Order: sequence, then structure tokens, then C-alpha cells
Amino acid sequence: MAVLATGVLFAQYQKKPPDFGGTYSFPTPEHPEPRAAWVHVLDIVMLAAGLGLAAWLILKRRSRPGVLVLSIGAIAYFGFYRRGCICPIGAIQNVTLSLVDPRYMISAGVIVFFFLPLAAALLFGRVFCGGVCPLGAVQDFVLLRPVRVPRRLDRALSWLPYIYLGLAVWFAGWGLHLKIGALQVQWGRRFLICEWDPFIGLFRISGPFHMLAIGAGFILAGMFIGRPYCRWLCPYGGLLAILARVSWKNVSITPDKELDCGLCADACPYGAIRNLRADRASCLACARCYEYCPRELETRGGPGGGDTLVQVKP
Amino acid sequence: MDVTEEKTTSGAVWERLRKSWFPPAAVMGAFAAFIAAAFRIRPEPKPPAAPPDPAIEAGPAIDDGMAARRLDRAYALSSVLGGAASAHPFRQSLAGIAVGAGDAVYALGDNEVRVFDAGGNFVRSWKAASNACCIAAAPDGRICLGAAERVEIYDAAGKHVGGFTAGEKDRPADITAIKILGKEILVADASARIIRRYDATGRPLGLIGTENKTGKFILPNKSLDIAVDARGVIRATDTGRHQVTAWALDGTLMGKFGKFGMADPADFVGCCNPVNLAITPDGKVVTAEKMVARVKVYEPDGRLLGLIGPENFDPACIHIHLAVDAGGRILAADPVRREIRIFARVPGAGPAIGMRDSVDRSLVEILRA
Amino acid sequence: MNDKSTRRQFLDRTGRIIGFTAIGSAAGLLARRASGNAVYQVDPFKCTSCDLCRTSCVLSLSAVKAVNDFEKCGYCMLCPAYMDVNSRPDEKGIPAGKVCPQDALKRRVVGAVDQDDPNNNYYEYVVDETRCDGCGKCVKACKPPAGNGSLRLEIRYTRCVECNECAIQIACPDRAIVSVPAPGMAPMESPVEGKKS
Repeated sequence: MAVLATGVLFAQYQKKPPDFGGTYSFPTPEHPEPRAAWVHVLDIVMLAAGLGLAAWLILKRRSRPGVLVLSIGAIAYFGFYRRGCICPIGAIQNVTLSLVDPRYMISAGVIVFFFLPLAAALLFGRVFCGGVCPLGAVQDFVLLRPVRVPRRLDRALSWLPYIYLGLAVWFAGWGLHLKIGALQVQWGRRFLICEWDPFIGLFRISGPFHMLAIGAGFILAGMFIGRPYCRWLCPYGGLLAILARVSWKNVSITPDKELDCGLCADACPYGAIRNLRADRASCLACARCYEYCPRELETRGGPGGGDTLVQVKP
Repeated sequence: MDVTEEKTTSGAVWERLRKSWFPPAAVMGAFAAFIAAAFRIRPEPKPPAAPPDPAIEAGPAIDDGMAARRLDRAYALSSVLGGAASAHPFRQSLAGIAVGAGDAVYALGDNEVRVFDAGGNFVRSWKAASNACCIAAAPDGRICLGAAERVEIYDAAGKHVGGFTAGEKDRPADITAIKILGKEILVADASARIIRRYDATGRPLGLIGTENKTGKFILPNKSLDIAVDARGVIRATDTGRHQVTAWALDGTLMGKFGKFGMADPADFVGCCNPVNLAITPDGKVVTAEKMVARVKVYEPDGRLLGLIGPENFDPACIHIHLAVDAGGRILAADPVRREIRIFARVPGAGPAIGMRDSVDRSLVEILRA
Repeated sequence: MNDKSTRRQFLDRTGRIIGFTAIGSAAGLLARRASGNAVYQVDPFKCTSCDLCRTSCVLSLSAVKAVNDFEKCGYCMLCPAYMDVNSRPDEKGIPAGKVCPQDALKRRVVGAVDQDDPNNNYYEYVVDETRCDGCGKCVKACKPPAGNGSLRLEIRYTRCVECNECAIQIACPDRAIVSVPAPGMAPMESPVEGKKS
């Protein structure tokens, strides 16, 4: 009723504007369209191409320089050009919210961004971490002198991603509403991962001080400790680790042909080679082990032949 | 291994370099330089906030002092017509009002014309176009309605007896006010920003309002209101200039008064005021404003006589349609609350509060003649 | 040896099958609900110009800008969104204070121009998007009855980063940031008539 009345009242404001006299041409107001559909398709294509290229470079070509170049490209495209959004790590929350609340609008691109690297992990291991994820690529880039982290500490810390994952899912889907005696906590739904993403300030080149400080801290730590966020915090990495355990093809060291020199274990900054076997869950597919393997050095440049040590598991 | 022995000196240097601190440090340095540059060359630097200017301070309040209180008491509410509590409330809309012969009140609202007699009793009603926004009543009982570009004419009983389209062929009129002057119908065309004169058959007789440097009225609120007094002087609201203008029928500008001001009660507030206009039988000008919803009464030359304050009207009003009956009572139609408030002059109220810059002395001379 | 590797192979294969099934079914379930592409926009009917658009956006200069709908704009000389009508007037009688703290609302005189009397002209108002930070003071000032309601806050897609979750949406007390399907989305109307796209 009120709307109708005000509609009649305000109808005069809807009329064509008067003739102002003189020479005046009406400006066409600009309403920039959101990114066209083809740009979103391009994002998906780039993601798929990146994953495929990473798998090829790591598992077939075994080329560390290739992976390095690919990760620079990933930082450039997914990091600085797309400014880090939409990312698969954050997509955990979108997917959770969409499963919990059917009214939530989720776009097809977000779905693909979440599930495609998971499928790639089932097939090829954590190639997403190795060549495509811009956050991981930043940390990989700044790794100066990796310090070996004690095994016990590594194992203890490796529970953190799952705790973070649980918290992120809980807050994205439901929020926290508690009442314990006199204490009452009412935290609505929030996307924790997006709020605490350490590197997003770098990609947007802006952000609140605490986010930039945390990012700087992780970069500083990342100079000496290999990929701390990826190994001990990333919730998506936790999911990838679970799936990579049963992956079809991945980085592995065959027991028959190796020299037992242990150079690969020394080379791996993430402690993923234990007892001269590559741990599929923690291998971040950086291809450093290939770079240092003497057998691999023999045949460097050529595609995987029959007598190379580090080869794809049949 | 053979491979090692075959390495040349430069190869050895290269190998040492590759395995030393240098490559990662170079990479780090390049990275750091890039980040520093990127942060310095931010694409959208935060613009500096305008420094506060101590010279600009809030102006004084709009109404204050004894003069205001005297102005407030010049008119008092005598009755309410068509309100929510009345027998015939306006449920959907209330647009223009007009007073005809015998102080009959014609109100346009709820997609019909509703007629009340002098005592406020409902007489009759008939259907009108839903986009009709203004109404005029002639002494012989004829009613004219303005709806977008159409003028519809009805007789005293409400029968539709004629109508025409106002405006040019390529630019249809936008009728925001309509008045009947003798045999002529005056149409306020907000689209062309002009007053058009027509006879009853729709034949154009002339234009009023072309006389000013840029020609025509300035109407930011896209609405022009007109009123005609007994002597045939046509008053029009020039909202962009915050003036009440007076015209002769042949289009000569006879005078104008009014100016913008937020402090002085005699001035017109906001961006485009006064929005509505009426003339009392003795020539006083009644104006209505928006933003501060109030009705003011002026002497013909622009001296402020009375003020009917914003407590009487809904603050969201963008129009307060005005009419004046033969006894000098002011009818103000509030389109948001959908009621017609009738105000009568309080006997013994103070005189006009002195001269202001905005008064037009020439008007006094003309109107005395 | 052989048993171990066969058992491991069996476990791996089973794990992969479970993994693909889980991924496939979850993706399929969500794909049915997917909308082509959802973008964020300000609903002008709910927006109350609370200034949180300026501070909540993850970008340092908010992606929310004031936009003037020229068809509704009155082109007033005494624009209540441009000048603070309550500020002290200068010698010409025009209020000297500006509403926009960033001086982002620019105007120029248009149409038939009277050089001697500023009151006698129409002015075109345009928002300078490199300065506007989405505070909404002009939008609030332009609302009827003071103005025509032609200014409204709008998320500009040339600047919006399309975050996983819009930070302004979280902060907005009026739930005025809505997800709308795109592309081909018509811009919402300025909130004067009771109708929106």
C-alpha cells in the first residue's frame, strides 16, 4: 500500500528529464558489467592446464626448473592478476555453506575450483601444491636454507590442518552459539580462512596491518622452514594429503634401482622422504629430489627411460 | 665419476655458484624489490581527506526567537478532512486539491475525484485517471484534471465533457498544475518548463514564463505549481531559483520574491522550494516547502506573515498541495498521511515581520493599481 | 612382498574409488544448485548509508562507489548531496561547506548558461570514482524529500575482487549486500519508485 502511494508520489521523479536549453547531451551512465562468463571459464581452463602441466613436469619431465617457472606463472595469474580470489582453500567454506544452506548461491566456478585439485590429487598426488597454488609458490620461492624440523614436532604439528579445517567448516556452516553457565558466545557464520589468509594482503597489495604482519611472518619463517603454512596449517592441504595417500601416480622412490645415497632425502625441504621412501601425503611435489638424484643427473634432459631410479610407479 | 672430471673451470664455478647462497638470495632480493615497488606504486592510493575548514560552520537554527513564535501563531488548525479517522479516508493516495464555488472542496486521490461541501461532508465522487496529479475548479463548477500530458474536463456533476493533449508534438507536456482563469485553462508544463495557455477546446493561446535570461523556469524537482488570483495575476513557483514569480496573462514578468536560506524563516530551504502555491482572496501568497515540511503565508510583496510549522505535516512530504477557500482558510493536503488539514487565521495575530531583501517592492506598486 | 604390494594396491584402488565417488557426488549435488555466476551488489532499498561500505571492503579504496542516476537527478544548483545546506553561506548566499569528505562529487554547469546568476542554471553531478570511498554521505543527503534520490551506492565490478565471501556483506547491518546472478544483470534502480530489477 505504502509502496503504491509513494510510487504515485515519486512517479514524477521517474519522468524524462526536462530540456535544459542550450546544448547538453545526456550522459550514458556507466554500469560496468561483472567479469564476463568467458573470464570465469578462462580461470577454470587455467586451473586445469596448470594442474595438467604440473603433473607432466613433475612426474614425466621431472624438471625442477619447469616447476619453478610454472609456480611463477601461478603467482602471476592466480596470485596477482586474480588477486587470490576465488581460491580452492577458501572454497572449502563456500562448499560447506552451500551444503548446509541450500539458499546460498554458489557459482559453478567455485565448485570446479574446489573439486578439480582434489581430483588431481587422487590421480597425481599434490600437484596443486607443487605447481599451481600461489600461496605455496610464494613460500617455495623464498626458501633459502631449509632447516630440518624434528620428526616428532612435524608429526604433532601435522594435526593442525585438520583442526583448522574443522573450525573453518564449523564457522562457515553454522557459526558458534554457546551458552555455558554465565558465559555466552554468539559468533555468526564467518569465513575464517579468508579472514586469516596470510598471503592475501600480498596479492591485493593492501590489507589491515595484522594480516600483512602475519604474511610477513610466514614469509620470514618460510625462508628457513620449508612451507610452514602448507605443511601445518593449510586446511585444503589436509584434504589433499588424505587423497594423495591413495593417488594413482605420484613421486615415489623404487626400492630396486636406488643407490641408497640419501641425497634425495637431504634435498627434500619438507621432510617427505623418510626411510628413503617418499611419503605421498606430505610430498608437496616440488621436484627438488629429482634435481639432486645422481641417477637422474645421468639422464637429465631426456624423458624417463627404463633405467632411471626415480620413476613413476607402474 | 667421469662426468665430474670432464667439467671445465667455468662449469665448476657455475656448479659452485648454483649450490651456494647466491641464487636463493638473488631470488629473495628480486622478490623483495618487487614487493616494495608494488606497495609503493599502489594502483589506488588513498586520497587525502579534505581538511576541515574552520570557516565553515553550521548555520543557526531555522526557527528561533520571538518573531518565529508570533509567526507560528498566525494560523491554527481548524479541521482535518479525509484523514484516517474520517468517514471517507484516502486509502491509497492524495494528490491535488481545489476549492470551487460555495467553498466545495475537490480532492484528487484514490483514483477518483472526491467532492466535499463547505462543512466537510462528502457529496459525491467520480473515477479519474490513476496518474492524475492536479485539479482545478472553475466558479461555474467545471473541473479540470491534469494527468501526464492529458487535460480532462468534467462538468459539475462529474460527467466527462472534454479533454485535450497539452504540449508539443515531439515533446508531450508533463502537467504538474492546472488552473482555470475565465475561459482559459492554464497548464503548468514541467517538461518544457513553461506555463501553457489553452482554451477549453485545447487550442493553444500562448506561453508564460519565457522571460528570463536562460528562458523558462528552473525546476530541479521536475514540478511547477501555479496559482491565479482574482485580478488575473498568475503566480508560479520557480523552485530552482527559490522564488515566487508573478506574471501577467500576456507573459510579462511582473515581479518575484524569495531567496534561498536555511536560517531565516522567510527564506526557502533546501534545493528546490517552494513546491506548491496558492493565493488567498485578498492576494496573500501561500507557499509550501519540502525538506522542512511547512506552509508559509506572505504578503503580496514577499513579507512573511505566518508560518504553519513542520509539526503539522509528515517530514517525508515532497509536496503539500494547497488551496484557499473564500473565507481565507488554507487547505493543505498531506500526500504521505493522506489528509487535508484546514488552517484558519487567528484573529489579532501580529503583522508581517518587516522587510527582507527578497521582497519585491515593484510588486506592491503593481498590485495596488 | 607380492602380497604386501597387492594388498596395498587393493587398498589404494579402493581408496581412489571412494575418493572419486565422494568428490563426484558432492560436486554433482552442488552443481544442481549452482547459479552461473553470482556477484555481489548493494540493494539500494535496504541501504542506509551507514559508512561500513567504506571500512569493511578488503580493498583499501572500497569497491563501493556512489553512482548518480542522471534520469532521476534534478540537476539542482543547491544540490543537498554536493553542498551542506546547513553550512554558512558565502557572499553569494550559496552554502560553502561540502558534504563529500573526499570531494569526490564534481559538478559542471550545463544547458543554457547564465553566467551572472548561479541560481539560474542546471548542474550536472558526476562522482569521481578515484576519490569516492563509498561512505554514503551524499546518498543519505540526496534521499527524498531533500533530494530526488538519484544517488545510490553500487559495487563497481571493475574494482570488486569477488571474494569467496564479501566482507561488506558480513558487516552490513541492513543486509543490503545481496548476491545476484550475472552476467547481463541490469543495474538496480535508485530507490525512489517501489520497483527494482
